[in-house]
Amino acid sequence: MTTNQQQIQLQLDEKKDKQRNLWKKTGLALIYVVLIIWAVLTFIPLIWMFVSSLKDSTAITQVPPQLIPKQPTLDAYQRVFEVGGFARWFLNSLIVSTILTISNVVLASLAGYAFAKLKFPGRHTIFWILLGSMMIPGQITLIPLYILIVNTFQIADTYFALVIPTIVTTANIFLARQFMASLPSSLIDAARIDACSEPKIFWKVILPMAKPGLAVLGIFTFVANWNSFFWPFLVTSSNEMRTLQVGLTSFRYQYTADYGAMMAGAVLTAIPMFIVFLVLQKYFLKGITIGAVKG
Amino acid sequence: MSEVRFVQVSKEFEDNNKGKFMAVKNADFTIRDKEFMVFVGPSGCGKTTSLRMIAGLERQTSGDIYIGDRIVNKAHPKDRDIAMVFQDYALYPHMTIRENMSFGLKNLKRPKSEIDEKVTEAARILSLETLLDRKPRELSGGQRQRVAVGRAIVRNPKVFLFDEPLSNLDAKLRVQMRIELSELHKRLGATIVYVTHDQVEAMTLGTRIVVMNQGEIQQIDTPEELYKNPKNMFVAGFIGSPPMNFVKGRLEGNTIQTAEHVFFVPEHMLSTYKAYQGKEVTLGIRPEDILNLEQLTVQPAHNIIEPVIKVVEHLGSEFLVYFSIGEETIVAKFNADYPVKAFTKQQLYVNMDKMTLFDPETQFRIS
Repeated sequence: MTTNQQQIQLQLDEKKDKQRNLWKKTGLALIYVVLIIWAVLTFIPLIWMFVSSLKDSTAITQVPPQLIPKQPTLDAYQRVFEVGGFARWFLNSLIVSTILTISNVVLASLAGYAFAKLKFPGRHTIFWILLGSMMIPGQITLIPLYILIVNTFQIADTYFALVIPTIVTTANIFLARQFMASLPSSLIDAARIDACSEPKIFWKVILPMAKPGLAVLGIFTFVANWNSFFWPFLVTSSNEMRTLQVGLTSFRYQYTADYGAMMAGAVLTAIPMFIVFLVLQKYFLKGITIGAVKG
Repeated sequence: MSEVRFVQVSKEFEDNNKGKFMAVKNADFTIRDKEFMVFVGPSGCGKTTSLRMIAGLERQTSGDIYIGDRIVNKAHPKDRDIAMVFQDYALYPHMTIRENMSFGLKNLKRPKSEIDEKVTEAARILSLETLLDRKPRELSGGQRQRVAVGRAIVRNPKVFLFDEPLSNLDAKLRVQMRIELSELHKRLGATIVYVTHDQVEAMTLGTRIVVMNQGEIQQIDTPEELYKNPKNMFVAGFIGSPPMNFVKGRLEGNTIQTAEHVFFVPEHMLSTYKAYQGKEVTLGIRPEDILNLEQLTVQPAHNIIEPVIKVVEHLGSEFLVYFSIGEETIVAKFNADYPVKAFTKQQLYVNMDKMTLFDPETQFRIS
C-alpha cells in the first residue's frame, strides 16, 4: 500500500470510530432518559405521600391540588400519635417483623443447606413437595389457617397468631437452597477433613459465605411482614395487638377519612424500611447477582 | 506405618440419569509406606471416587479399607489422619491464609504455640511467609495451590491425598509445581495418593501408577514398566504421548501379515507367540519405534514401509508424522533433524524389536 492510500484508510477508520462513538453516546443518553423518567414515576407517590402529610385537612382534598403546601403543618403527625395507639402498633410491627426475619433466616438457611448439600433419603421428594406447595394460592389456605389459629389453637389476637403461619416460608427455603447450592461442595469436604463438626461447618464455613444471600432473604422477609396487612387484620381484634398497616385503617371512619393522618402514618411506616434497606444495601446488591459471575 | 490398603472395595452410585452404576469395581491393592502413588485414567474411571473413599468423603458399598493397620471403613474423615488437596483448592474465602492453614489444627484443639510453629514452618517451606495475612482472593492461582498444600502439610498426616491439584494451573506453572511436589515428597517422606487424568503428570510424579478405566484397575506398576510392558491395549493406548499405534494382522510363521504390509517378527520373540500361530493379532508399536530411514546408518533388511505422509506436526525438537496402514491412522515421532514433507512418499523403518502383540478379543498383551 502506498503512503497516500494508508492515509486515506486512516481517515476512514477515524471517521468510523467517531460514528461509533456517537452511537454509543446516543444510546447511553437514551438509557439515562428512560431511567430518569422511571425514577421520577417511582418517586411521585412517595413525594405525594410526604407532601400530603404536611397539609391541613382542607388542603389535602383541594382541587386543583397544591403541589407544595401553602401552610405546611405537622398537625396530621400529632393526630396520628394522639388518636390511635401508633406507638403500640409500631412496636407490634417491629416485634412481628423482627421475629419473622430472624426465624426465616435461621430456619430457611438450615433447611436450604440441608436440601442443597446434605445427602439424606427422600431429600428430592421432600423438596418437590415443598415446591409444589408454593403453587397453592394463599387465598386457598387462608380459611383453614384461620380456623386452625382461631378455633383449634384459640390463639387469636396474640403474637403467636401473627408469627406462627409464616415462621418459615417455602419461598425462603427455596431461595436459601438455590444460593447454598451455588457454594462449592469441596469447601464442605475440606472442612470435614479439617476435623470440623457438621454444626460447625454450617456456622464457620457456610454462613460466612452465605451472608449476601441471607441478607437478601432478610430484607425481603422484613419488608413483606412490615407491609403485611390481611393476615394481621384477620387475627387481631384489639387495638393493642394491631400492627401498623392494620392500625392505619382506623383513620378511615364510616363516612369520612382522615387522609392527612393516614399519609403521616404511612410516612412514619416507611422509615424503618428505608433504614433496613440502607443498612443492608451492600449485601442486597451483592445478593441479587449471586451466581451471575464465577468467583 | 502409613500404608493404604483396599481389599475388594466396590462403590455403587445411584444417579438420576444413569440409574445404578459401579464407580469402582473390586479394587484390591496396597499403597506402600512413603510411596507416591498416582491414580490415572479418563474422566469417570473411578479414580477420584477411590481417593474420596480413602478420605472418608464417600463410603464404599463393599470391601475394606485400611490405613496403617487400622480398618477405617466407618471412620470419619477427621479420624483417618489424612489431609487432602482439592482441584479447586477449596480455601475458605472469608479466612486469611494463616487462618486457612491453622483451621484444622484449631479444630483438633492443638495448643496455639504448636499451631503457630507449624504454620510458620509450612509457610517457609512453600515461600508463603509474606502472604499469611491476605485473603485467598488476593492470591494468584499458583499461590492458592501452595496454600492448599500448606494446609495439608501443617496437619502432618499419615497420608496426603491430592485430587487433580494442578489441572487449574497454566502449563508453565504446572511444570514448576510438579517439580515442587516431587521435592516435597522427598522432603516429607510421606505417603502420597495423587489423582490426575494427565499421564505426563502421572509418569513424572509417581513411584507407582494405578491405571483405571470404567471403575476397574487395569494395571498397577512403575512408570517404566507401564510404558514398556503394558498389560492390555487400554494401558498401552493411555500411557505415552502420542499413544501406541495398533494395527490388525495375522501371525503367519515368523511374519505378521497386515492389510498392506508384511512385518517380520524377531526370532527370539517367536516362542512367546506360539499359541497364536495362524490367528488374528493386534500389533502395537510406539510412535518413537517408527524411524525415518534416513536416520539409520545401517540399511535394515525387513520391515520397511513406504506410506504417503498425510500430516506433519512440528513440535520444535521433534515431528509428529501421520500416515495410514489399512484403515488405521498411524503416528510416528521423528527427530527434527530429519524433516519430512506432507503428501510425499517416505521410507520408514518399523522397529519390530520393540513391538507388543495383543489378543484382539481379550485385548490383553500376549506374553
